[in-house]
Amino acid sequence: MEQRWPDWIRERDDPRIAHTRPEALDDITVLDLSYKNFAGCYCSSMLAEFGAKVLRIEPPEGDFIRSCTPYGMLHKGEGLNYLSEGRNKFHITLNLEKPAGREILKSLVKQADVLIETFTPGVMDKWGIGYEQLKEINPGLIFASITAFGQFGPLSQNPMPDYDNITQARSAVQSATGEVLPEGKTYDECPWAVPTKAGPWIGWAQPGTFMAVGILAALYWRGITGEGQALDVSTTEAYARFDDYAALWYQETGIVNERFGSLDTAGWLYCFAPTKDGAVFLGGLRLEMWQAFADILGKWDEWDAASWTTLQIFMRKEEQLKWAPLVFAETRKYTNDELVRMSVEYAKKGRLAPITTVVAPVCSPDEPMKDANWLDRGMFTPVKDPVYGEVVVAQAQHKMTETPIRTRWVCRPVGHDNKQIYAEYMKFDSAKLDELKKAGII
Amino acid sequence: MAEETWQDYKEKKHSKPTPLEGIKVLEVCTLLLGPAGPGFAAEMGAEVIKCEIPPMGDTCRDLTPFGYLFREQGPAFAHMNTNKYWLGLDLHKPEAQEVFKELAAKADVIEDNLRPGVMESWNVGYRQIKEINPGIIYISKNGFGQWGQYAEENRPSNDGASQGFSGYAWLSSFPGQPPLKSRLYICDNYGALTGELAILAALHYRQRTGKGQFIELSQTEAIMRAMTWVWPYQQTTGEVAMPAGNRDVSICPADTFRCADDNFVAIAAPAPEEFKGLCTAMGKPELADDPRFKDHLTRLQEDNATEILKVIADWARTKTPAEIEKLAEKHGFAASHIYTTKEVVEDKHFRARGFMTEVDDPIMGKYFDHEFPVMMAKTPPKVKWGCRPVGFDNEYVLKHTLGKSEDEIEQLYKCGALGKWADVPTRRPPSNWDGKAGLRTA
Repeated sequence: MEQRWPDWIRERDDPRIAHTRPEALDDITVLDLSYKNFAGCYCSSMLAEFGAKVLRIEPPEGDFIRSCTPYGMLHKGEGLNYLSEGRNKFHITLNLEKPAGREILKSLVKQADVLIETFTPGVMDKWGIGYEQLKEINPGLIFASITAFGQFGPLSQNPMPDYDNITQARSAVQSATGEVLPEGKTYDECPWAVPTKAGPWIGWAQPGTFMAVGILAALYWRGITGEGQALDVSTTEAYARFDDYAALWYQETGIVNERFGSLDTAGWLYCFAPTKDGAVFLGGLRLEMWQAFADILGKWDEWDAASWTTLQIFMRKEEQLKWAPLVFAETRKYTNDELVRMSVEYAKKGRLAPITTVVAPVCSPDEPMKDANWLDRGMFTPVKDPVYGEVVVAQAQHKMTETPIRTRWVCRPVGHDNKQIYAEYMKFDSAKLDELKKAGII
Repeated sequence: MAEETWQDYKEKKHSKPTPLEGIKVLEVCTLLLGPAGPGFAAEMGAEVIKCEIPPMGDTCRDLTPFGYLFREQGPAFAHMNTNKYWLGLDLHKPEAQEVFKELAAKADVIEDNLRPGVMESWNVGYRQIKEINPGIIYISKNGFGQWGQYAEENRPSNDGASQGFSGYAWLSSFPGQPPLKSRLYICDNYGALTGELAILAALHYRQRTGKGQFIELSQTEAIMRAMTWVWPYQQTTGEVAMPAGNRDVSICPADTFRCADDNFVAIAAPAPEEFKGLCTAMGKPELADDPRFKDHLTRLQEDNATEILKVIADWARTKTPAEIEKLAEKHGFAASHIYTTKEVVEDKHFRARGFMTEVDDPIMGKYFDHEFPVMMAKTPPKVKWGCRPVGFDNEYVLKHTLGKSEDEIEQLYKCGALGKWADVPTRRPPSNWDGKAGLRTA
């Protein structure tokens, strides 16, 4: 190969040239009816980034989810989560509680490929716009429902609303994440040593992504057979699916996976370790990589690393609890940078080189946003939005040679695109729009 | 009605098609970020041939919680490597590279998660494969992508490094405490899921145009994408997004509370009617009209949020999680105790939906595992069979897919291009295997 691979590929998938490329889904129209549910919004974002035309349909007063923003903060009137996830979507209003609103929806459905909704199961049916009703007017429709409990099963009629922290609790992931209460201590003394959820809305983003994957698989099937279908995601199930080994382990042994701090129940060397100025992640899932770390710390002889023959022994709970403090006593002597550099140098001239240990700083989130590597890769390029100005959102996470994703705008206010979209899809003129507005339909 | 669409879904699942039938995927992946993606595709019906270097194969086979095995295999490995065909192919050997190219000529998708350039050094990189199969969709997944400073430094990475690097772990801890690693290999699994999203978008584009493409996926970029509000928050305030323990800073109230019995409950009640319901359940309906808590944006402000969360915390200390769950159902807010793995495995709702699905595998036996969490009414994804040792399907793949003769296959074994598992724990079949069960005849 004449040209170096990194240069060759960068010439073809650098986000800076994304706008010159076609879009994978620009033949697809999506109606997003999500209400009070970020999983639905995130799902339609995933499709909008690939160029799908997403009509985001909100009730006339706007979706409550817009008010879900850190510390109540607004940027030019917009909540910060929604500011990130309104991207590339046309925003229209429609009152589905009124029959006239539902008739308009049906006209839109005739012209759409995908519908995303997050109402309690039965609500769409009651309104006469459930899957069984809509497939009559559009047999190719992919009807995607995201809810807390799913569309069927004994709890499906439970009206409990869907929230990220509830999903994290119900999936059994939270129960197995968190610091262990130190022996002899109480929760009053250590209120942080409890089952702990993830900070970001992963209990919404992940099910939304799963549904986007399901929608594209259904689209592929429709491409072959012409048939649409109904899809069902329960947010709790989606998140629980990532709990790799716990269910099998429990069935084999009766052992319930419990919190183990920042060590790893299923891996050694695989933990966060304290340093002089913070913490690093240490990764060495092969024996040689763990030996390399002993060597990096200058403990090869003292720990008799040459005599180690298998990692399996180190994975045991009592061994992890014995070795972790020994390792941490050493890592505390160095800064994050020093440890990262020691690992990189070891790969060049260490005893086991090129084998080395994965050492990565545990960063606060302002560090990646300033990191030249991610800036160079287009992750935080500000979007010039006509309404909201220059806004930094994470983007360009898929780099592709033919159909890269892009962020054309970050968000739109409630009903911003009513005029354009209703003219395009319904041939409504201004007088008609005013009339519908007065009647509380849009 | 929804009941009609989903009637007998679980019972009829195995007599219905899967959405990606006919799609052929070649996997050269190890650990989790790599294999999880084709695992999702395989559950949606793609034919995935997993290529491993014999005799030890995928390092994920070594991941064992505290050293425990599941039917003599690593449980995380068993969980994410379902429905695959197993080829022991030593890609260091030219003869193996030729076999790979023959398979690649017939494939739709290739997935690897090696460091940049490794596949090319084996003569099976994107530039080499697209010459023989221009429609190929080729994805390389890793920590830092294919170009940029960190990729050029050839830094190793993995899930924990990505949790650290992205700020995800830092944001998922308690204020003032060291950053906390998730129990999930969240960056591996989530990165893998978004990889499938990009592949399916590319497949849709290929259905329309015949064109293949290369996709690069950095798991760190994928997880940063899911940290929605963090980036515009840091941009607009100039401040670092701060960890908040179990409190959701974008939803109020939403937190995990300690109960009378020292167990925990997650509660969310941000919408007006939900918050009113919670206040009534607490016997303090007047709080819903308190100017500090009257609307969501006001309630989210730091002082007000601290205040209301304290009121709820004091109340929760007088109840059990079960009592609060009942009150939530009665008064229309969301609450859940912290589920354990045992509860998820045995949950009646998950069983009735077939999310906890019973696998009946000829060599792994019967067990329950998570089903693919997108239920598709006409094309249900499903687990069909479990994991296998290295090279288990060598003969089947070479005869069935490539039409090789017994002699040719023998030659490939002789030169070391083909191989099977090592006779050691985690690599050999379960000891009750009769030497025949599960083998496919071409």
